[in-house]
Amino acid sequence: MPIHEKSLIRPENLAVHEHLEIEGVDVSGHWSTFIESRVVSDYNEAMEEEIAALPGGEHIHRCWQCGSCTNSCTVNALNPDFNPRYWIYLIRMGMESELLRDKDIIWQCVSCHKCTHVCPRDVVPEGVMKATAHWLELKGHTPKSHSMIFDEVFSEQVFETGKIEDGRVVKRFFKRTGQALRQPWMEDMVKGMLRHLPVSLLARMGLATLIAPRTRDWGDARAAINEYVEEQQAAQRRALGLDDLVRAAQREI
Amino acid sequence: MSDKQTKTSREKYAEVAYYPGCALEGTGHAYNRSTKALGKALGLKLKEVDNWNCCGAMEVKNIDPKLQTYLSSRVMSIAANKMKMDVVMAPCNGCYHNLKRAEWDLQNDDKSKEVVGRLSQKAGHETYQAGQVETIHALDWIKDGIGEDGLKQRVKNSLKGVKIANYYGCMYTRPRHIFPEKDAGAGSESTSKPHFMDDLLAAAGAENVDFPLKTACCGGAHTLSDSDTSTRLVANILQTAEAAGAEVIATECPTCHSGLEMHQIRAEKTLGIKTSVKIIYFTQLLGLALGLKPRTVGLQENVSDSFAYVKEKGLA
Repeated sequence: MPIHEKSLIRPENLAVHEHLEIEGVDVSGHWSTFIESRVVSDYNEAMEEEIAALPGGEHIHRCWQCGSCTNSCTVNALNPDFNPRYWIYLIRMGMESELLRDKDIIWQCVSCHKCTHVCPRDVVPEGVMKATAHWLELKGHTPKSHSMIFDEVFSEQVFETGKIEDGRVVKRFFKRTGQALRQPWMEDMVKGMLRHLPVSLLARMGLATLIAPRTRDWGDARAAINEYVEEQQAAQRRALGLDDLVRAAQREI
Repeated sequence: MSDKQTKTSREKYAEVAYYPGCALEGTGHAYNRSTKALGKALGLKLKEVDNWNCCGAMEVKNIDPKLQTYLSSRVMSIAANKMKMDVVMAPCNGCYHNLKRAEWDLQNDDKSKEVVGRLSQKAGHETYQAGQVETIHALDWIKDGIGEDGLKQRVKNSLKGVKIANYYGCMYTRPRHIFPEKDAGAGSESTSKPHFMDDLLAAAGAENVDFPLKTACCGGAHTLSDSDTSTRLVANILQTAEAAGAEVIATECPTCHSGLEMHQIRAEKTLGIKTSVKIIYFTQLLGLALGLKPRTVGLQENVSDSFAYVKEKGLA
């Protein structure tokens, strides 16, 4: 499938002159559209290094822009603006303002691993997408995506008890994202499920939402994981200079 | 290691450590029930991994991939060091993928090895060493533990006339580097055109349709956080299966399975796309072929209602 790259010639870069004469030739109107020169002056030279410091972004420097990732991408097939190859290019060039134009869709990577499967350079583009989405959030360019909130709700429960109970994760996710738990399509699904389920199984499922399943003697593992998470988060804050940003903001206030 | 190599798959898979994972105790319970019932009917023994934990699913890696590696390694460590098992069987694609991924990481990435060693020590259990166990999927378990011929001999209700699209999803084959045993010549599984489920269902008499989206993505990772994307991806899978002539989509992953079921309903509600293709675990289909009752393989636990369909096909 050919990749339909987005054009850098955007409406705001087009100039149409109603009255313009150049060396005696009338070039007014649409027949001779001019393209304004495009100057990029806001390079962020730290961007690649910062994204490489986040989990998943480690191998971004290996990319040689073949485009296999975008070519195989599940989300690109739905939305041509979702373009991992292009974003990796922008990150490596430090073109932050260009990247920010797509900031609200980067988190939509579905982790199908098609890109990682085909990448000839082991860039792990899927990881780079996650790291980039994470970077956008940490830097305050985007609010936390629903996907990130789901990952956090889910992981918190795993770290806490060693196991997951679907119903509890779903409830906490809807609560934290401020959505109503009773979505109309969900009610239909539950009704469909209730049709054949024996009472004993329903009781067991109901019980599971009250008493979360847990791994026995998980305390030491929990402590070790939490300690590691804190250590990693501190390292990430250092790599992205977040504490300096906060201090600078406080001085301004 | 040499001992493991000289044993045949038949011997190795006759008794395996069973890692059901969280989904199989929740939304994917039908898969758990049917896998156990199938093992019993085929005389394959399952010993559940003692006091197991979540493998990290698709979420923990987004917090930190090394934590997912640690979580998965703990499961393998228990199977190897506490239970002295050689093989761990995980029916869930997510669990299977993560255990494979952890195995690869521990063989190839020193940083992962260091983190897993440190966390295991602090958590107070033996550190898993790469190569201690072999992780297999429920498909490998039946395919290599019983084989098509073995299955054919035991079929009581042939799946004759059941038109199936075999759907494998993402995590069973991608990325290829974590599955060194796949794409390894004749008899091995293929990462681009997987066929183990096709082979088993064909042995049970089913008619497999030519389905081009075997390894397409159902958007399972964003089932709730980006439902519209998932619904579009699933609608495409369901419509393509029907266009290929399938009456049933056979699944081998609880996330895919519940994703297809959920978004089949949602696609009708939000996109006006109505499909009637049934969504059934391959273990349920094989169980029915072996003469097990629909309730024994947990058909009542599916959202997609296939009771009338299996009756019509003479399987109940």
